[in-house]
Amino acid sequence: MATSTCDKLRKGVVTTSAARTRALAKTLAVELPPDCVLALHGDLGSGKTTFVSGLAEGWGIPGPVTSPTFNLLVIHRGARMLAHLDAYRLKSAEDMEALMLEEFLKSPWCLAVEWPENVGEWLPADALHLFLADLGGGRRSLRLATGGPNEA
Amino acid sequence: MILALESSCDESAAALFDPARGIVGEWVNSQIEKHRPYGGVVPELASREHLANFPPILSMVAEKLAGERPEKIVVTRGPGLAACLAMGVAAAKALALEYKCPVAGANHLLGHAWSAFLDFHAQDPASYSERLAAILPHLGLVVSGGNSILFEMGADLTPRILAQTVDDAAGEALDKGAKLLGMPYPGGPLVEKTAQGGNPKKYRFPRAFARTLEPRFSFSGLKTSLRYLIEKMDDATLAAELPDICAGYQAAVVEALSGKVRVFLKAGNYKSLGVTGGVSNNRLLRAQAAALAEKFKIPLLIPHPRHTGDNAAMIAFAAWAYPAGAPVVPAEALEIDPSLKMDGVAG
Repeated sequence: MATSTCDKLRKGVVTTSAARTRALAKTLAVELPPDCVLALHGDLGSGKTTFVSGLAEGWGIPGPVTSPTFNLLVIHRGARMLAHLDAYRLKSAEDMEALMLEEFLKSPWCLAVEWPENVGEWLPADALHLFLADLGGGRRSLRLATGGPNEA
Repeated sequence: MILALESSCDESAAALFDPARGIVGEWVNSQIEKHRPYGGVVPELASREHLANFPPILSMVAEKLAGERPEKIVVTRGPGLAACLAMGVAAAKALALEYKCPVAGANHLLGHAWSAFLDFHAQDPASYSERLAAILPHLGLVVSGGNSILFEMGADLTPRILAQTVDDAAGEALDKGAKLLGMPYPGGPLVEKTAQGGNPKKYRFPRAFARTLEPRFSFSGLKTSLRYLIEKMDDATLAAELPDICAGYQAAVVEALSGKVRVFLKAGNYKSLGVTGGVSNNRLLRAQAAALAEKFKIPLLIPHPRHTGDNAAMIAFAAWAYPAGAPVVPAEALEIDPSLKMDGVAG
């Protein structure tokens, strides 16, 4: 296969605008395996929600992808069900279980988790981990890894 | 009498509404104290707490009803946290069986939209319909931790969304700003407090789409510009500048809201303005909304603070005032919809 977005992201990418971050996520969306957990690591303002809105575009999900910070979990429906979770206020795997996700996720789904370190023990071993950082001046770095921060 | 239940997030609530009198009873089990050590809503606790909270609330409801059978049970079916919504819906189905009355699924956001008219109705229930007709079309702003929606409502009472946030809600923008400034979560009210006495003009933050009819709010750029600003400051400077920074940041959030309200008031022919949801308690927003209402010579409707958070009174009232938004369905067909939109479109 020609260089996939997935491969590019594994090597690390720097985007120069929110629109480019979104476009990158949009091309990644079609490459993501069904029923996958995507852990999004990065500080406030590093582009996590922007990235998720690009994924949503890739799956033809209409409407804005708003921040799940207050609501904890926002579910979008399109070619794939996108569950967007902000784990900032979650403390443990039990908190994750209580969300009853298995009741609502319909295959093919993608669960995008912001602040995944808070529920690290819950994350499946095959979860994809995306590391985002704000480099200043609208530039953001993105890098993808499997198997969590240890491999990164 | 309409009996409403609400459990979309961390409050378990019930209310009784009599169209001839208004709200005749309301009960909210505020869980804020229980949650504080965990910093906000934790669903595991919240859904379990609903189970514990509803029985005592429902016995108080039964006492108030004193044998009277409600004409219908209304329950919030979305949007909200699935595990929490499910508790209220299950309770409502059980009550509908017990009271042998119909059950209806309500939209939490319509509840907020209609909360503007709760006190307006109670002023004189008999003349409500005529008085309502005189203040339509209505322009409403729903601003809370999780929502920022501007909508209009004409004589058919169907809400039409004019603008909504594409990223953070206004309340989230305040909470996230507070977090960047090292305040505990949720820090929105703390930003407001710290901003008192600060100079809102010293630090200028972006106000996205504020002066346009563009159908969106955006607050995510705000926190980035705050971060850039404070990165350059040492701790002592930051501490000294905190009131001015908070004042500037709060002004940006509030003016993004009020600026858009202003352009829509100018473009339309609205006869009333409503500001509802938790952020309607922000004093700067209230002051700017009041100034706009005065400028355009229309009444400003802001609910009582107890009806700005999650509450069942607004759910009961909205179900009565706009029954199309809370249709009666067979109990077995009543389902939660965690991503329900204000205009009823499934998420």
